[in-house]
Amino acid sequence: MPQQRQFNPYSENGGTILAIAGADFAVVAGDTRQSEGYSIQTRYAPKVFRLTDKAVLAVNGFAADGNILVKTVKQRLEWYRHAHAKDMPLRAIARLIQTILYAKRFFPYYVYNILGGIEEDGTGAVYSFDPVGSYEREACRAAGAAQALVQPFLDNQIYFKNQKPKPGQSHPTHLPLDHVLSLVIDSFTSATERHIEVGDGLEIYVVLARGHSAQGLSNIPGAQEISQTDEGERVFVVRRDLKKD
Amino acid sequence: MFLTRSEYDRGVNTFSPEGRLFQVEYAIEAIKLGSTTVGVRTRDGVVLGVEKRTQSPLLESSSVEKIMEIDRHLGCAMSGLTADARTMIDHARVTSQNHAFTYDEKIKVESVTQSVCDLALRFGESVEDEGAMMSRPFGVALLIAGIDELGPQLFHTDPSGTFMRYEAKAIGSGSEAAQSELQDKYHSQMTLEEAQNLTLRVLKQVMEEKLDQHNVELAQVTVDKGFEILDEESLKAVIDRMQS
Repeated sequence: MPQQRQFNPYSENGGTILAIAGADFAVVAGDTRQSEGYSIQTRYAPKVFRLTDKAVLAVNGFAADGNILVKTVKQRLEWYRHAHAKDMPLRAIARLIQTILYAKRFFPYYVYNILGGIEEDGTGAVYSFDPVGSYEREACRAAGAAQALVQPFLDNQIYFKNQKPKPGQSHPTHLPLDHVLSLVIDSFTSATERHIEVGDGLEIYVVLARGHSAQGLSNIPGAQEISQTDEGERVFVVRRDLKKD
Repeated sequence: MFLTRSEYDRGVNTFSPEGRLFQVEYAIEAIKLGSTTVGVRTRDGVVLGVEKRTQSPLLESSSVEKIMEIDRHLGCAMSGLTADARTMIDHARVTSQNHAFTYDEKIKVESVTQSVCDLALRFGESVEDEGAMMSRPFGVALLIAGIDELGPQLFHTDPSGTFMRYEAKAIGSGSEAAQSELQDKYHSQMTLEEAQNLTLRVLKQVMEEKLDQHNVELAQVTVDKGFEILDEESLKAVIDRMQS
């Protein structure tokens, strides 16, 4: 009898992440459920991480690979800080993540990454990656289990795809913070309804450029400030419950 | 005194009882035999100037290369055993390119300087993957000029692996006279043109030959154009302006 053996080093742990860039802010969010097949391993496994005072990274896919990747990136950021006496700029972090991912081109980290934050010129930015390091700066991106549900919604609501502006008017290029936050929350409640791997909790990181008031956060209860630079960049996290069924 | 010295001046990694590394000190002496090299920093950019001693009238002076590019935003002038500088500049170029590759940004002037100094201290030690050993310290000092997010900067490195930032610095055989002249004439509000004039004037004072476009080399790093070595034509124009 012929026998076959297989080594299967990867698994898929569900969940969804999403990020949206504003003119002078960025929002990065992810649910906190971690599952394998039909079983939930934990209801609280964070997928979004603050890297610097201006950069937040969301990681989705195979959780073990994701955790190691975040650990590696954080270590490289610390080395960079020691070598160059400054925090790594957002676009440098984006390129660094590419080189880290591509270094494992033939045994990849099975993860989709979305990096959000503030560029050196003060604009909000989102970078999205594939598992081997191809990356692009965008205004918004969803990834993970419910990407197919969320991305079309964002395309419609952020890029105004399939919408015609009123005569004599045009679509805005960037949306205000309060509007973006409600889109994020709606995206996740809807994804939780329609996708079994999404739910339990929601973590939304908000990075504000210097001079941006926290006005848009005022009607969002429970926003917690987690860091602030001397120059005025601020990072907030908003935690919400999602349905657990 | 010489007797005690001879006991300890052979090994490159043995301290003398007084706590000195003679080979490193001798390497620093070697620079004082080199041609005079001057660097001046302004708010608009950094100027580098070197004297090219022409040992023979038959020598093609354009083949004497004492200022080299490290990257678009970084330049370097040398004094001492210039052959040693090639190793260091190669290292600086690789470091700078690697940084741009990995981080998609220009490396800071201080960071390349640091990396060159790290290399300078690896004597008496095998360099990674190459089996060969670096048997002695580098006999060359560098003036590294560049522009980064902190603006125009000038760094000086020596064979001990020490580096320092300067507003204006002279190294090589005429450095003592040149440095005191710089100290006299330098001011922080200088324009790039004034810095070119100062560099040439200082070189002129310490040179034995009459200064012309063949026996000096001038380079600059500016915000607009990055690193550039002045060609003979524009160098001649700067010399004429300086002398008028």
